[in-house]
Amino acid sequence: MKRRTFIAMAGIGTGLLILPPALYIASPALRKHAAMLIREELYYLKLDNAGVEQYVNDYFSSSSNNVITNLRWKAFYYLGIKAEQSNQIFELIKFYLLSTDFFIHKMDESKLVSYLGLYSPYKSPVPNPYSFVLYPAD
Amino acid sequence: MKYDYYDLIIVGTGFSSTFFLKKYLEKNKGVKRILVLERGQLFPHSERLKIKRGELADSSAAGNSWETQIINKTPEKRWPFTTAFGGSSNCWWGCTPRFMPSDFKMKTLFGVENDWPVSYEELDPYYEEAEELMAISGPEGTPFPRKVNYPLPPHHFSPIDKILHQKYGNQYISQPTARASRGTKGRNQCMANSSCDVCPVDAKFTIENSGIDVYQNAQVELLYGAQVYRLETAGNVAKKVCYVKDGKDFEIAGEVIVLGANPMFNSNILLNSGDQNPLTGKGFGEQLGMQVLIYLDNLKNTGGSTWVNANGYMLYDGSHRKDYAACLIETNNAPYNIRLERGKWLNMTSFRMIFEDLPLSTNYITTTSDKLVPEINFKGGRSDYALRGMENMKKVLPGILSCLPVEKLKFLDPFPNEGHILGGTRMGKTAADSVVDKNMVHHQYRNVFVLGSGSFTTFSASNPTLTLSAMSLYSADHSF
Repeated sequence: MKRRTFIAMAGIGTGLLILPPALYIASPALRKHAAMLIREELYYLKLDNAGVEQYVNDYFSSSSNNVITNLRWKAFYYLGIKAEQSNQIFELIKFYLLSTDFFIHKMDESKLVSYLGLYSPYKSPVPNPYSFVLYPAD
Repeated sequence: MKYDYYDLIIVGTGFSSTFFLKKYLEKNKGVKRILVLERGQLFPHSERLKIKRGELADSSAAGNSWETQIINKTPEKRWPFTTAFGGSSNCWWGCTPRFMPSDFKMKTLFGVENDWPVSYEELDPYYEEAEELMAISGPEGTPFPRKVNYPLPPHHFSPIDKILHQKYGNQYISQPTARASRGTKGRNQCMANSSCDVCPVDAKFTIENSGIDVYQNAQVELLYGAQVYRLETAGNVAKKVCYVKDGKDFEIAGEVIVLGANPMFNSNILLNSGDQNPLTGKGFGEQLGMQVLIYLDNLKNTGGSTWVNANGYMLYDGSHRKDYAACLIETNNAPYNIRLERGKWLNMTSFRMIFEDLPLSTNYITTTSDKLVPEINFKGGRSDYALRGMENMKKVLPGILSCLPVEKLKFLDPFPNEGHILGGTRMGKTAADSVVDKNMVHHQYRNVFVLGSGSFTTFSASNPTLTLSAMSLYSADHSF
């Protein structure tokens, strides 16, 4: 068993037993782990760190924020669960990329990835990354 | 209310009512008394947008959610709809392919269900008129015959669309759509935001932005918040329309009555009126939709200019429809379907596969103790015909996509709804096989029209709105 997985299983198991669930709600620890997951998954990109943290704050402030969800986020990080294994991590990281200038810069890995505000077709400046807005017809 | 008797009373302000009234007014200029009873309120696009943006909005006209307006006996099957001025035009996604000619001849060609009493050729001029009124964007060549070009040019293909069009020709086309490919008639150009229920840039045709303006006509009186639940009949004639407004019961007399509510409420009104046709409320349902994610090697799906960028007909027509359902392919341009693999973020596309289903008698609408609330029964579920179509698709899709560098396919579970509520007042030749005739006039109550997709004889795999709009134009043109 990998060390991190072992620690995670022990730690999370204990936490589940002794901590009141309310302590996990919107906890700073949860947000820290979510930000760590983003950085780990997108290790090859230059991420604006303050932007990652702001995104995580915005993401959890706007999405459902229940006890189980929060516990899962902690477990995801400590158990080393990757985006392809978890829809929730996938959603977190996907919406992070959609909320940045990454697609506006045509996925140029050499450029700093900056957070522009939570992705919304009604509010954010980020267009559909597939669309003719970024890839006009010849 | 101006009068106690009207020449024409219309229930609803959605596509079917509006297109019917448009044609009716063309043929009856300045001499008729017309009353329109709308269940909801005018809830403008501008206020809907504010809600989507999280801004302070006047939501007093938003109305109740669909769940509170019906009793759904199978909650896992959802039936979303909107009740407000403009009906489902407020929440549709603007897909407007015509039906295929074969869709009208299912019995003759495939031995399935019944033929429609109206043919594709008879509907063709009304399709054209509806496409003009909606300023449809579409390609020159289509798998269904057309005599003129679409009003607006087609949307842009992505590289994937180009490859599939090159291989399949008119079996793979830019989708005909009411999402404008360029600014037109009070609408902006679609920006491919893929959030079409409330279009962020007002590019989608709605009754509100249509410019059709039938409700401003001096002959027309529009009453909001009027929930129609019954027709008062005498013999084979409907005399009055009964409705509730502000919690009180009312009735109003009319010569001709047009039911243009959605199929659930149309059936509920007829059943509450004592309609004894054994098919009223029966054969209710919708198409079956599911999503396929297509992961591509070294090919980006970029450059599309709208939500459904293309339609594929490779699984639609053919003798297979004797055994299993036609499938219409919608090529989606969804921003939320991206990959998280380095260098492959946009190397994917997603197809929505839409299968026709059958009007099973085990799926039906009935009345309840609340006269305003119909009960929806979908215990019969999906037909084997539709499910066989889906299984066949899974087998043959890899071969169909062999012209693309496909890494893998991921089939998602079927959706709980397709957004196309169909059946309940089917169309046919006699009362033995149907509820309404080819002009959508009730077989028994000859002064009652029952419009909309509830009248479809069979369901097709194609999106219903254009066809039901054309049917309304056809009906009014042939009846007055």
